[in-house]
Amino acid sequence: MLRELKNRIFICYLLISAILVIFPLLHILFSVFINGVPVVMKYGIDFLTGTLPAPNKPDGGIFPAIYGTFLMVFIASLIGIPLAVLAGVFVAEYPNNTISKATRSLLLIMMEFPTILVGLFVMAIFVVPTGSFSALAGSFALAIVMLPYVATYTEQAMRSVPRQFKEGAYALGLRKCRVVFSITLKIAKKGVVTGLLIGMAKVAGETAPLIFTAGNAWRSTGSVFEPNGAIPLWIYYLIQQPYANYHEIAWGAAFVLMVFFLAIFLPIRFSMVRS
Amino acid sequence: MDKFKIFLMPSVCTVFGIIILMLLVFTLNSIAVFKQEGFAIYTTNIWKASEVAEEEYYGILAAIYGTIYTSTIAILISLPISIGLAIFVSDLIPKKIREFFIIPIDVMAGLPTILYGIWGVFILVPSISGIIKFFYERLFFIPLFSYYNPTGFSYLSAGVLLAIMITPFATSLIRESYLAIPNIYREAVYSLGLTRYEATKILLSYIKPAIVAGLLLAFGRAVGETVAVSLVIGNAFNIHPSLFAPGYTISSLIANQFGNAFAYELMPSALFSAGLALFSIGLIVNFAGLIILKRWGYA
Repeated sequence: MLRELKNRIFICYLLISAILVIFPLLHILFSVFINGVPVVMKYGIDFLTGTLPAPNKPDGGIFPAIYGTFLMVFIASLIGIPLAVLAGVFVAEYPNNTISKATRSLLLIMMEFPTILVGLFVMAIFVVPTGSFSALAGSFALAIVMLPYVATYTEQAMRSVPRQFKEGAYALGLRKCRVVFSITLKIAKKGVVTGLLIGMAKVAGETAPLIFTAGNAWRSTGSVFEPNGAIPLWIYYLIQQPYANYHEIAWGAAFVLMVFFLAIFLPIRFSMVRS
Repeated sequence: MDKFKIFLMPSVCTVFGIIILMLLVFTLNSIAVFKQEGFAIYTTNIWKASEVAEEEYYGILAAIYGTIYTSTIAILISLPISIGLAIFVSDLIPKKIREFFIIPIDVMAGLPTILYGIWGVFILVPSISGIIKFFYERLFFIPLFSYYNPTGFSYLSAGVLLAIMITPFATSLIRESYLAIPNIYREAVYSLGLTRYEATKILLSYIKPAIVAGLLLAFGRAVGETVAVSLVIGNAFNIHPSLFAPGYTISSLIANQFGNAFAYELMPSALFSAGLALFSIGLIVNFAGLIILKRWGYA
């Protein structure tokens, strides 16, 4: 009897904890949706193409932020992806090497590392010497944040390639370089691309590494050597302003950011289920 | 050494170089403040910015206190719930629809943290301030509830928000190791005629190391989280036992003060030494978590 009762209580605990997790999570997605959509509707297409209005003035949009996010994610990918893929290849191809064992642990630690420190680091070595915030500095910071994700996914994808393919390639007399780049990586393509996209989705939403590197721009879009905005950065600053229309724009920007994130993340996640 | 290895070496060296250079930059930039104050930067709670270099004095004890306080609240809330959810998803949900529970959790683990921040500021804090009023009016004599702060920006808000943020991550770590328990053990446990509660208790003891590792990694995440926390914690140099008091964490201190730090002589250095503390905590906690995971064959 007592055993049965304990079991009942236990199952109630499981149910309650499931509700306690799922409810706030759905509430967050729902709030961003319910507060963001009316704003985007109200501002119309201008929301995506306009610049920040004056306090308590109607209209305006978040174009400089969208531009900055795309620019920085693009440059961060250019810097980070080749580096990360090569590091991932090294770890996968020489698994018993001391260096590659150390690299694997390092990558896992970097993944969990406080990203604000990356921002501070890039500020010290790049922003201070060049004397100005810039999209390039922001991209460096994002590249460092992106690196461990891409490298780890590349490594795992390469290791999941069956031995027979590699052995066949070696038997044909191909050199290691050719085997890796034209056989293994091609077969592991899906896993590598998943890693790239997850890395990009991750850094597109990062705020902390950009605070001290990208600077910000409310009404202009600059080159890579000039300060630029980013969607998460805008939301962070706009929330802290006292003006109602800035809060509105922050919600709208949050909705846009959520749509970007889900548009990249959900297809990847669903394709993982099928395979 | 084959040629291919030499070709790949630079990229691996860059990865190591970044971390070493980072440690170097943080250490070198902290030297100035260590020279001036010694270790007192970590043990005093004074924040005196001044145009005159001699009058400057910085101590970040309040931020260290706030970091540990909020992360502990987060872990205490998150751990029992994430274990419960992990078991719920693995045992009670049929395999076919399990993914429908796992996908939203994964989405939330990767969701941009600023979205948690905006939700925290406009929805969590106003609703928590009501709870704060309720407890303060009845239980103000208990130190835990003693600080009256009607705005709701407090350790509690930061802790709750962090708990919501780290639970998806913690629960997927625990779930994966729980699902990886060999079937022989499951069958053996149920063949004894145990109830689900008794069986699960035994199975959980099997993955205890994974739970400890999950706890450490989740703690590491909570410690490093910046923007969402800095938006809801209230940003005040404060060491108070109450859940309702506003405070600082190391990362929110850096995010908040670094913008104007270069107007002062010593403040950048003080903030880099705060970064160094965060660096060390992050490194130790994550390293410990990974070692446990490795040792027990989960990673």
